[in-house]
Amino acid sequence: MEFPTIFWYTVLWLIVWGAVGALVTPRVYARKDKFTYQTGMLGAFVGAALGPIGLILLWRLTPAVSAKWLGASGIVVLLWLALAFAKAAPNNLCVTNGSFIATQIANGLVIGAIYGLMALGLTLIFSILGIVSFAHGEFYMLGGMVTYYATQIWFPNLNPLLGVLIAALFTFALGAIFELLFLRPMITGQIERPGEYAILVTFGLAFFLQYTTLSLVGASPKKVPRFFDYPRWKLPAETGGLLKVTPGNLTFFDAISIPSARFTALIIALVLLFVLLYFLYRTWTGKALRAVSQDRQAAAVTGINPKRMNTLAFALGGMLAGISGAALVQVFSWVPWVGIPASSRSFVIIVLGGMGSLPGAFIGGLILGVVEALGAGCVPDPHRAAAYLPAYGMIILVLVLLLKPTGLFGREL
Amino acid sequence: MRGTMRRLKILTWVVGTSFLLILPWLIPTRMHVAVIALYYAILASSWALLAGYGGQFSFAHMAFAGLGAYTAGLIDKFIRLTTAPTYACTEFPLGSWWLVIQDTASPTCLEKAKATMPMGALIVKLPAWMDILMGVVVGGLFGLLIGALVLRLRRTYLALFTIAFAEILRTAINAERDITGGPGGLKLSPLFPNGVTLLGHEFTAADKLPPYLVMLGLFLLVMALMYWLAGSRFGLFIRAIREDEEAAGSLGVDVVRYKILLFTITAMIAAAAGGMYAHYVRVIAPNMMVIKEMSVVIAMAVIGGMESLLGAAIGAIIIEFALEQLRSNITIGAFTLNMADWRLVVFGALLMITLRFWGNGLIHPIIQRITRRGVAEETVAKRLQPRAATEPEDDTRVKIPASPLEPDP
Repeated sequence: MEFPTIFWYTVLWLIVWGAVGALVTPRVYARKDKFTYQTGMLGAFVGAALGPIGLILLWRLTPAVSAKWLGASGIVVLLWLALAFAKAAPNNLCVTNGSFIATQIANGLVIGAIYGLMALGLTLIFSILGIVSFAHGEFYMLGGMVTYYATQIWFPNLNPLLGVLIAALFTFALGAIFELLFLRPMITGQIERPGEYAILVTFGLAFFLQYTTLSLVGASPKKVPRFFDYPRWKLPAETGGLLKVTPGNLTFFDAISIPSARFTALIIALVLLFVLLYFLYRTWTGKALRAVSQDRQAAAVTGINPKRMNTLAFALGGMLAGISGAALVQVFSWVPWVGIPASSRSFVIIVLGGMGSLPGAFIGGLILGVVEALGAGCVPDPHRAAAYLPAYGMIILVLVLLLKPTGLFGREL
Repeated sequence: MRGTMRRLKILTWVVGTSFLLILPWLIPTRMHVAVIALYYAILASSWALLAGYGGQFSFAHMAFAGLGAYTAGLIDKFIRLTTAPTYACTEFPLGSWWLVIQDTASPTCLEKAKATMPMGALIVKLPAWMDILMGVVVGGLFGLLIGALVLRLRRTYLALFTIAFAEILRTAINAERDITGGPGGLKLSPLFPNGVTLLGHEFTAADKLPPYLVMLGLFLLVMALMYWLAGSRFGLFIRAIREDEEAAGSLGVDVVRYKILLFTITAMIAAAAGGMYAHYVRVIAPNMMVIKEMSVVIAMAVIGGMESLLGAAIGAIIIEFALEQLRSNITIGAFTLNMADWRLVVFGALLMITLRFWGNGLIHPIIQRITRRGVAEETVAKRLQPRAATEPEDDTRVKIPASPLEPDP
């Protein structure tokens, strides 16, 4: 099916006026002697949303940049895109079937919560150690692998939650050992160029873990059956209009359908998120971690050992990725290189949310989950739609780097 | 003193080049590995220029090689030159020739046009060097775009962006089966379709020696270019940027511009290697861009010595031969090790250990030891000489050294 050109013309129109807005608006603000911070982004949004008329108005009035203006024009841009899509593909499921879109969005949010959890681990590592771990996807892969072996091979009939726990312990230990052996020398001054070393050594770890796993378990896909079968249940009891539960599926409002494996994963992710928040904000160790991320020296003065916090942060970050993998191993089939797209996804999320921002990582995960689900569901050619799954994240990445490199909640560079 | 160094350098070049020239007669059965080793040597040393000299960590080097390879392959597949218009395909006049594009919408247009074309009309492919050149241009364009987007930010962003870009490019090529052939691969014509005559000896298109010599020529050209770049003002600037971006910027180096320039140049080198490789192996698949290949190139550069172009190239050649040697399985009792996978584990571990304990790599220190033999003693001896002989004694003013960024007069 050839995708009509009207959609691409609309996209081109948005891009052209967005670019004009982004390039000219800061100059207009500067000439009027006004604060130019983020006016490029406002110009891009307004230009894309309202075209030349909006831009002329913007340049006449030059309002102060606020989240209100940005949000409103962003929503208008999204509406234009949706409208053009509906016009271009009137028979697409995404246009004709509301419950399909709702299901896609709900599933996107569920998966996005787990992406968010994984990215939370990466952002935790970044905020404490100041490095990006390129082996994050491999921790995710190992979490799933260990769960598979624990629940299917070593101890059949083991409670899956215990399998998740074993995976968590394994990835935590692996992270701690790696940090002690290879990252600790960075802060004790044994490495000449710590920034470059960190990029390469974590990349080397990724390569090492991938091929060790491949050599040990082989390349054939592993599949774990869903952790829990839910009992049949209806709310209200006769019609099930609000919630219908079958062993493999949950249906909300007769419209939104979520497979129970994904729902279990969501529950695991949410529980873990609350445990993590409790740990970070209510316990001494968690507060110490956040203190180190804010100011190393000051934290050390108050009696916190920053070296131990480094080890803890790296191990915790690896564990979060491991648990995400363990939660998702029942949803996807598992191969040794399943971590590569997962780590690119985490990179997109932490840049989108702002490097080092914890809420940013989680919200970024939700956004990416929804975008991917809509992309996979709505792109006309289903074969391509699935193949380009990682590319939707890439579009977000390019837009963020162009418009707001600090991300949604980032500290200023 | 400078004379000895210079002579030593020339000697190294002459010895190295002549060794690579007589290599075909030493290992006539392993020529394929030798060509591939040179391909990796180009990639590893250009990555070393980017990362070791410039401090910019890109994980898309193999993606650029793939861009070069696929550009060459797609031109080879879709574009023809004819002496007469076809009136069936998309075509542009080009002097006395016509440039014909057979796109996926009309794959058989040329076949149909053959019937109507005048007798004796020629239909030829573009020569191999021309599509490799186009690949270089495309690689450079992508390098420029990515560089302009990411290089104004901190260096982690480049690594994050390029790793994602490499993955997307690979999936895109996998998905667009109609155009690229997908995972099944894309066929190309050989480097010399009609064979070639060298020193009175006829070589067919399947012979390995002519491609080896061409690859060797590209390798030497690239090495010479990179050494010239590294020794010029440009090299000084990028090393300054690596050491301290802010300081280099405050001394007047246009940091972002030089980073983009460096990234574009190395992308073009990678694309050239990729195009050459594509015409040599004749079937390219998206697998040439997987992260594994990138990891191998990085391992080569790091083990050879990231801060030395020659070290990285030698490392690449040694590791490629070692990887081929280690292919056969090892059996210990009832236990068989599948070396096709385990050898990569070995190199992964070696990569990490080298980084941790020998930041300069394993081969670079050996080169240093040979080329800088006696330099330290000479310097010490020079310092110990009485100063009166060279400087007037009453001159006690503090000498301000010339700015390091000024070229020697």
